[in-house]
Amino acid sequence: MSGAAGTATHRGSPAWLRRDAEQVSGALPPLLAAAERLAASTVPGVHGRRRSGPGETFWQYRQAMPGDPATAIDWRRSGRTDQYYIREMEWEAAQTVTLWVDPAQSMDYRSDLAPRTKAERARLLALALGVLLTRGGERTSLLGTQAARPSTGAPQLMRMAIELAREVEGRPDFGAPPRTALVSGGKAVFLSDFMGPREEVFPALIHAAERGVSGAYVQIVDPAEESFPFDGRLVLESLGGGVSFETHRARGLREAYLERLAERRADLMDTARRCGWRCLIHRTDESPRKALLWLYGAIGDL
Amino acid sequence: MLSFGAIAFLNPWLLAALAALPALWWLLRATPPAPRRIRFPGVRLLLGLQDPERMPERTPWWLLLLRLAAIAAAILAFAHPVQNPTADLAGRGPLVVVMDGGWGSAPDWEARRARALEALEQAERADRAAIVVNLAAPRAPGARPDPRPAGDWRGAVETMAPAAWAPDRAGFAETAAALSDDLGGFETLWLTDGLAHPGADDGADLAAALSAAGPLTMIGPDRLALGLRPPVLEDGALVAAVIRADAAEGPRPVSAAAIGRGPQGGERRLGLAEARLEEGENDATLVFDLPLELRNQVERIAILTGGSAGGVALADDAVRRKRVGLISGEDDAGARPLTSQLHFLRKALEPTAEVVEGDLAALIDSGPDAIVLADLGVINDTDRAALTAWMEAGGLLVRFAGPRTARAETEALRDGRTGEDPLMPVRLRAGGRAVGGAMSWEDPQAVRPFPPEGVFDGLDVPADVTVGRQVLAQPGPDLAARTLATLADGTPLVTAADRGLGRVVFFHVTANAEWSTLPLSGLFVQMLERLALAASAGSHATLEALEGATWTPEMVLDGYGWPGDPGRLRGVSGARLAEGRPGPDAPPGVYVSGDRAVAVNLASAETTLVPAPPPPAGTRMERMTRAEERDLQGPLLALALILLALDAVAALAVSGRLRGARVRPRAAGALVAALALGAGLAGALAGVAPAHAQGAEAAPDPAADALALAATRDTVLAYVLTGDAEVDRISAAGLTGLSRVLAARTAVEPAEPIGVNLEEDELAFYPMLYWPVSADMPTPSDAAYARLNAFTRTGGMIVFDTRDANLAAGPGSGTPEGRALRRLAAQLDLPPLEPAPSDHVLTRTFYLLQDFPGRWRGSELWLEATPDPAEQPAGETPFRHLNDGVSPVVIGGADWASAWAVNDRGDFLSPVGRDGGRQREMAFRFGVNLVMYVLTGSYKSDQVHVPALLERLGN
Repeated sequence: MSGAAGTATHRGSPAWLRRDAEQVSGALPPLLAAAERLAASTVPGVHGRRRSGPGETFWQYRQAMPGDPATAIDWRRSGRTDQYYIREMEWEAAQTVTLWVDPAQSMDYRSDLAPRTKAERARLLALALGVLLTRGGERTSLLGTQAARPSTGAPQLMRMAIELAREVEGRPDFGAPPRTALVSGGKAVFLSDFMGPREEVFPALIHAAERGVSGAYVQIVDPAEESFPFDGRLVLESLGGGVSFETHRARGLREAYLERLAERRADLMDTARRCGWRCLIHRTDESPRKALLWLYGAIGDL
Repeated sequence: MLSFGAIAFLNPWLLAALAALPALWWLLRATPPAPRRIRFPGVRLLLGLQDPERMPERTPWWLLLLRLAAIAAAILAFAHPVQNPTADLAGRGPLVVVMDGGWGSAPDWEARRARALEALEQAERADRAAIVVNLAAPRAPGARPDPRPAGDWRGAVETMAPAAWAPDRAGFAETAAALSDDLGGFETLWLTDGLAHPGADDGADLAAALSAAGPLTMIGPDRLALGLRPPVLEDGALVAAVIRADAAEGPRPVSAAAIGRGPQGGERRLGLAEARLEEGENDATLVFDLPLELRNQVERIAILTGGSAGGVALADDAVRRKRVGLISGEDDAGARPLTSQLHFLRKALEPTAEVVEGDLAALIDSGPDAIVLADLGVINDTDRAALTAWMEAGGLLVRFAGPRTARAETEALRDGRTGEDPLMPVRLRAGGRAVGGAMSWEDPQAVRPFPPEGVFDGLDVPADVTVGRQVLAQPGPDLAARTLATLADGTPLVTAADRGLGRVVFFHVTANAEWSTLPLSGLFVQMLERLALAASAGSHATLEALEGATWTPEMVLDGYGWPGDPGRLRGVSGARLAEGRPGPDAPPGVYVSGDRAVAVNLASAETTLVPAPPPPAGTRMERMTRAEERDLQGPLLALALILLALDAVAALAVSGRLRGARVRPRAAGALVAALALGAGLAGALAGVAPAHAQGAEAAPDPAADALALAATRDTVLAYVLTGDAEVDRISAAGLTGLSRVLAARTAVEPAEPIGVNLEEDELAFYPMLYWPVSADMPTPSDAAYARLNAFTRTGGMIVFDTRDANLAAGPGSGTPEGRALRRLAAQLDLPPLEPAPSDHVLTRTFYLLQDFPGRWRGSELWLEATPDPAEQPAGETPFRHLNDGVSPVVIGGADWASAWAVNDRGDFLSPVGRDGGRQREMAFRFGVNLVMYVLTGSYKSDQVHVPALLERLGN
């Protein structure tokens, strides 16, 4: 789908326009539909804040204190006793959930073992989560795009879908979450393969945590990245071609690679634990529903 | 064309390319495979890593070998190899095709003719003159064939047929030399039969002459022709020997038929015989066991396959036994044998003829060839008529004189019967004469030598044969003509006369030694033999007798051994026949002289076949059937292509680009060795294994000990390994989650759960066994059930979880898992079950519970039924109290393990219910209660009564 590598066609040419239009009219509804379908499997709900505040759900009765408006008194409850009671509702506030989908080229990778690229899976998860959150009345934003301003409702969802389906030129080889201002006290979900340079990825994660945001990392990996099914004399290149590595016998590197992958994951988990975030490893050959369920639980729990 | 044995190359110069193989070797081994570029996002993780093993820079030897083999195959293929190449004629001058043409060529004559025609065709294409010579054909001495265009010979070759005699090789040797001088050399193709032909010549001279004239190609038969010696009688059976020249050719079965003439005159097979020429044996014996009547009809014996004139043996009188009837006028039953009339006849005839005795009528009925009347005087009219009729139909009547005969003749004379007696060749004078007796002046008469051309011609007359008495014949005009033998004084001794088709022979002496000494001598036997009364002892006696007579061929054999009309063949002198070397003038066949017939065979009783001597050096030897020419270019090209395809696969494997097939180069090289080693090891282990097994029984198993320690050091929750990896994983994760909850909330601090293999592991260590029922779990063995039953009886509890939430209809309802539960639990010793009552102790062992949810809710929990106290028989311990009231089994379908399951990071593995946390919490509470129930038994139910007990104690 839209995740194909960039084309040589000059932007603005009729071909480009047509493809763009096709993406908007053709590719977007499938993504949105897939996201809706995925989201339908999860029952959403507005989170109670477990404290009294503006809301619709009964929270508690408390004795009226001086200063409480008389209109707040629940007369039916108060009529049973000699005291005045005020019926308090649970404070239901919309959360702001910031989503970040790694736009780097490394996400465009798909091995023969997987049905979708990592980027496609990330977009699907992001949008499906967006659908769920929107349905729950939360505010969502898509970091690093034009939909970065937190908003709610179908327009925001559509905006996010457009942004996710947009072709971006000049994408980096590897991505790291942008160090922009996040909504303090909000939640964030970072969908990436976190394969970028350590000195870029981890500070960015910590930066997010320092802004008082909690959330979840979803490391989306291709099965090939977990099994390293290569052998022989190879020149391995990053998808943008920026990094390359030559090996004489790839099979011999497998152990070391897996070790480093595990190390990277351990670091990721460690960072997550220290920041109070959660971390999920999602393989593209797994069902996206699993990850969505987990994500929804992770966002809902926090 | 370059030829190596059976393989020749049509483009041999291409083979020079093989010299380039070493260079190719050097080039190939220095070329490392080019690296492949792959896009891979994880490359950043690899930066800085060092290759632990380097790809071999050089191509592995076996791959090199594969490539070299492919290229060598391609080179060989383009050199166009041909297997069994059809040899073309090499020379340029005239071509002489020499064909043996004798009987030895008959078995494969068609092939010979085809070969000759093929050679002629080649010569015609090359525009070469040719001469075709048939060595067996009669040639005028000194005649020299002229070279003619090769095509002109075709007709001659096509009409050529093998002769029934041996080729005349020596005769052509001189001609060949002269021809060579005339033509200035020629190329020869000699289609030889490979036999030396004893008596003729072995062909060495001719081979030398031909080879001197130019290139010589000798084409021999695939198998040398067989010969057949004349049949002889042995123990009443007809026996013929098959002979061959080359004993080294291996075993060769031979079958032959005895052919005779049927009643209608057509030929038919009278018998079949089989023999086997064994390796190293030059002859084998064919035995025809035939009844006399059939045996006497045998005309020839022929080898059935590969027949030739040499493989046919004509039978003559030598093999025919006559049936001879003997009648004597006297009753010799009580007589002394030496004076008996029949004694000497019997002795003479019995070895070679079938002797029949009896009265005359019976004798005639038995159809004898001859009847001997020894001094039979008076013959009544009936017998006389029968005897006459039989004789005129071809019978031979031999009569001996004697007193009765003399008296009968005298009476006949006295009665005036002076006409010719059909049963007597001559009229006899009354009485007889005695010479040399006591009353006579004369000495006994000797026998005069037999006249030539007579039937007894050639027989030696011993001097001691004398005749003392005889009957005398009436002189008559035809007496001399009828006399076969006379005494020294000219009186007839043996007279004979033709009677119709038959013949009557009269000996003027007795058949015993009273009147003469003739019966005592060998001459007597020989005379009987000549009279065709007895079969001859052997054909040689006959051959000796051949001389002096001119023999007319009655039937001759052709080269194939088929009898044929002699045509205008002239008579042959006996001397020529006696040479035993049939030729164009005297082909093998049946010859007749007068009433004698003799069979002339190619082989005599002593004949042996000898292979021809090896040809002179430089002669090309070929066999008649050449292996079919096969073009090997196609297969070799295919081989090269296959090898190249293999090389492509192997190259991919070596450079690691072959997905799936993990071919390790070194392993591939050592694969065969490893396989062999593996097979050897397996064999060795098979021998060692029983001993090892016995040792294992005695010795404690450290692994089992470790497991027992782990299971008993702490409380351990156990689950049954179902064999379904996913189910087992969830079970382990579920019990892990439950263990953590237990450790966090209660005094029970279980260790990591353990999976239990029902077939092998001991169950006694575990308080509780979680058994997720999977539909395709195999039914455990009887031993496993025995352990399970012991486990439940001694306080263990099995928690069955069908995981299908469908227990509303009771355990073991229609779901696959339900049926599996029924199957699995069928052999368990279970008490009656009931759905858990709401006041069951399980609802209050730790938490107070109303239901028992897992991942699903609302499914019923089945436990041992609470016995009705009223029905409880006194004094009998109910099952329930046996285990402190703990039900031995809990059956549910709520999939508790999934609800409890956590991974290593403490994340739950499965979503539970709609309200998430609460149902999972209740599931954990049920788990806690369950474990408490197992561990504490009825303690908690007794706690209910504590206040009352305390009150009672207080009082």
